[in-house]
Parts: sequence; structure tokens; C-alpha cells
Amino acid sequence: MRETDESLLARIDLRAVERRERARRRRQRRIALVFLAPALILVVGVLLVPVAINVYLSFMNWRKFTGIDQFAGLANYADLGASPYFYDALANTAIWVAASLLCPILIGLALALLFRGVRFEETFKNIVFLPRILAPTAVAVLWYYVYAPHGMLNRVAGFVTGRTIDVGWLYDQATVTPAIIVTFVWQTVGLVMVLLLLGLNAIPKDPIEAARIDGATPWDAFRHIVFPLLTPTLLVVTILCVLAGFTVFDLLWVMGAGYPGLRTLSLAIFMYFEAFQKGGWSFGSATAVVIGLVVLSVTWLQAWLQHRVERTLK
Amino acid sequence: MSPPLRRAPPPLDFDAIERRERDARRSSWSALGVCALISLFWLAPFYYLAVTVFKTTEEYTRSDPFAPPRSLAPIVDNAITAWNEATMAFGMANSAFYGAVGAGLAVVFAAMAAFGLTRLDYRGKNFLFMIVFSGTIFPFQMYLIPLFFMYGRLGILNTHVGMLLFYTAICIPFPTLVLKNFMSALSREIDEAARMEGAGEFTVFARIVLPNAIGPMTATFLLQFTWIWNDLLFSTVLGNRAEVRSIMNSLQVFQGSYASTGPNVVLTAALIASLPSIALFFLLRRHFMDGLKVSGL
Repeated sequence: MRETDESLLARIDLRAVERRERARRRRQRRIALVFLAPALILVVGVLLVPVAINVYLSFMNWRKFTGIDQFAGLANYADLGASPYFYDALANTAIWVAASLLCPILIGLALALLFRGVRFEETFKNIVFLPRILAPTAVAVLWYYVYAPHGMLNRVAGFVTGRTIDVGWLYDQATVTPAIIVTFVWQTVGLVMVLLLLGLNAIPKDPIEAARIDGATPWDAFRHIVFPLLTPTLLVVTILCVLAGFTVFDLLWVMGAGYPGLRTLSLAIFMYFEAFQKGGWSFGSATAVVIGLVVLSVTWLQAWLQHRVERTLK
Repeated sequence: MSPPLRRAPPPLDFDAIERRERDARRSSWSALGVCALISLFWLAPFYYLAVTVFKTTEEYTRSDPFAPPRSLAPIVDNAITAWNEATMAFGMANSAFYGAVGAGLAVVFAAMAAFGLTRLDYRGKNFLFMIVFSGTIFPFQMYLIPLFFMYGRLGILNTHVGMLLFYTAICIPFPTLVLKNFMSALSREIDEAARMEGAGEFTVFARIVLPNAIGPMTATFLLQFTWIWNDLLFSTVLGNRAEVRSIMNSLQVFQGSYASTGPNVVLTAALIASLPSIALFFLLRRHFMDGLKVSGL
């Protein structure tokens, strides 16, 4: 019996097996490429090629009527650095990113902790999540009238104070940014809260109760047990918020159309104006590249941090 | 069997227990109050929207914004005016078309790509996946100018074809990631059995893998449909003609046009524009929550 096995093995041509295996893989790769073809063609043709063209355009001179003219090196970027509006846009975007990072996360975390265990918990969560199902444009239109001189907010304030109030919240450079940020928070906090609750619910209760029995205050328990375990979720939410704040368009486009003191001029809006209204295509491309570099570094930072957090948790 | 008690339990301090429970009850009542106040803030704009769409322009300007409407009838006129002046018939039809066809094609292409990335044996899978997935890492601003020119050159600027092409492409990478993770967790034994029986790869895909992946496909389809429905930026740049505009673009143009129509009409338009995504959300809540989970974490 043993002998026949060995003689059988000896007769198998290992090289033929390997050859057949390789042929099978080649055939499978061909089939796989057929399956991948629509996705690859569309993503490369409609998304990746434009990104490459955008980078290319940002290094070229653009003349009216003749189109792409000649290589310009970093001239477009130098122009960008010399444009005062660019710094306005940069500063406004920085404020937006800071606000859209801090406000939704702090408020979302506070609401998540507050709603936990309260009666009608589900109802409260659903109410806060509700704005999320409206389109950002519809939200912007709704809040545009909330803030209008004869809108809801002024009437309520007038009712409370007993005086006539007609502040143009969206037309005053001191109030426009906070006003739009309130709208942003109103819409995004629901999602942030739900994501944080998913993270909170995954944290085991026993260590917290053990710490409380040993005399830890709720704040101690939060800081030393809940917070470290919530870090991965917080990281994901942070990046979502940063990117949302950095590329926000709909809210500013609809609500900030008055541009009081250029406060609603974000980088995304600046780029749109320069390219599509003023015809500065190369200039606009350079702005888009700057936006891209910031977004890519934030994404990279997230991947790096996530990797580190996962390693320390293990 | 049980170990003997070493110590008698301390006598119960009933006063202390009652005090603690009273405190807990009071703090839960105050927490409930705070929660109610917060919900009030969240609901106020919805209430304002709900009462405004039932007012005539004349009634809106004269009455308190919070006052309940005198009758429910004006919403019909508001809706008709909004529908006509904002060219909402085009907007709604266009967005439904872009959303249904664009997201549908994208999810099918993504499922095919995920099949090619998980159910077959060959080298270089990771590289191919990275190409598809790199469609999610660039900000939208980097696509705008080149697409505008490419579309102009190809003659598809401000056309339905051009809009559909972009929406399909942008909606492919994310479902590919989700479906790839899903399909790599599915057992491959049934595939092998079907192949033994002589089934081709396409049959394996269409008859075995696809029916199993209906759940995550529906979830990602809804997410992408909502994204397309809500998009304003790309319609503004690539499809800015009344016949091609998406609904959000129609709404923005209508709101920004300083028409003689009052807030009651514009808000009615905003409500109509939101109705499909609201309806979808309530009809298919479970799938949305699934989609949320796969998208968030």
C-alpha cells in the first residue's frame, strides 16, 4: 500500500502541476480584470485623470482665448501667496475647521452622555438626529429664513426681551460665522452623537463600576477608563468633522451669499470664484491643489494615529 | 457547599438609602428637563418650517413666525407656485434619475469589482483595490476644473449623460470597500462547488455571491442615493441648465434669485425637495442604520 503511494507520487510531474496552477491564476486574473473593468475605467477616467490634470494645470500659465500657454513653474502658487483674499479664505477656513471639530464633538459627547439612561432616551436621540435626514441645501435655506431680519430668531428674541430686534445675522460680519456654525452643529451633531454612542456602548461596564466602588468620581472614571477606550471612535469622528469643516460648501454658498467682511469666503468658495467666475483656471487649480494637500495630510495623520492607537490598545 | 459567612452584613441604613434614591430621582428629573430643553431647540426650526408652509405670503409677513396658520389650504398654492417657479419638475425628475441610475450602476459595478477582488486567485489584488479606493481620498475641489474642461471638450457639459457619468464614478469606491469586506467574509466553498459543476464565473457571481450580498448592497445604495440627491456642488459646476439641474441646484437658484415670492413659498420648495430622502429614511430606517455603521467605523 505504502509503496504504491510513493510510486504514484513519483509519477506526478511537479512542474506540470505548477504550470497548470500558473495558467489557472492567469485565467483568473483575466476574468477578474473583466469584473473590475467598469469600476476601474470610471474611477480612473472620471476621478484620477482629472486629479492629475488639476496638478498639471496648476503649474501652467493660462491665457484667455488661447488656453494653456506655457510652463509657469510655481508662479500660480506665488500669486496665491500674494493674493490678500487667499489669506482671508485661509483664516476663515481655519476658524471653520476648529469650530466644526470642537463644537460637534464636545456637544455630541455631552449629549451622548446626557441621554444615556434618561427616560425617553430613544425619542431624544431621534430628535437630535432628525436634521441629518434633510439635505444640507434645504437646511441652509431653512436657517436662512430663521436668521432673516424678519425671521424666526429676531421675533423670538423680540418676544423675550419685549423690544423690536432686526439683526441681519447673516449680513453682519460679527455674527455670520457663529450663526452658520450653529446651523452646522444643528445638522451634524446627531450623526456624531450616534457614532459616539456606538463607541460608548462597546465599552464594558464592569471596570467603571469597580472603579466607582473603589471611590473614583464619575469624572475620574470617564477620564481614565471611558476616554482611552473611546479614543479610536473619537479619532474617526474627529477626522470626519475636520474634513466636513474643511470642504464645507452648501451652507456657506446658500447662507453666506452676502459675504459680510468676506467672512464666508472659505477656500472651497474662493476656488470656485477664482475659477468659475473670474476665469483664473490655473489659479483655481493651484488652490485646489492646496486644499488637496491639506486633506491628504489630515487623512495620512489619521491613518498614522489610528495605527498607533490600535497598537497601544493591544 | 457555600462558604460560611464570615461577618454579619451591616445593619441597613434606611434613611441613607432613601436619601440616595431621592437624589437620584431628582437628578433624573432635572436631566429629563435639560433633555427636553435641548430637544426644543432642535425641534424649533422644524416647527417654524411646519407652520410657515401653511401660510400665505401676506399672512407670513403680518403674523408671528410661531403663530399657527389660520388654515391648511395655502400649502396647495405655495406648492404649485414653488413647483412652477423653481422648475422643480425638472429638478425632481433629474435627481431621481441621477440617484436611482447613478447609485444603482455604481453599486453593481462595485459588487463586480469586489467579486474580482475577493473570489478569484491572482497576484496584484491589493494594487487594483488601491486604484479604485483612491477615488475617495481627494477633495471634491480637485475634480471640478478638469472635469469642466474635459466635459466641454467632449460636449457633455450641462447634459444628463455627463452628470450621470460623474455621479456613477464618484459613488463606486466606497461601496467597493464595503462589499469587498463583506464578500471576503463569505465562505468560498459554495463557489468551488458550483465551479466543479461547471458554472462559469459570471454564473457564480450572479447566482451565488450577488443574492448573498443584497443586504450591504441595499445599505450602500441608499447612502449613495442620498448623497447624489443632496449634492449641490457638482450640479452647480457640471449641470447648470434648467433641464439638467439637480433638485438641490434648482432650490438654491430659486432661493438666491430674490424672486418676489416669500419665505413661505421657498420653504415649501425646500420641504418638497427633502421629501424623498425623508420618506426613504423612514421607510428603510434599518438599512440606513446599517449604512451608518459601515460608513462610520
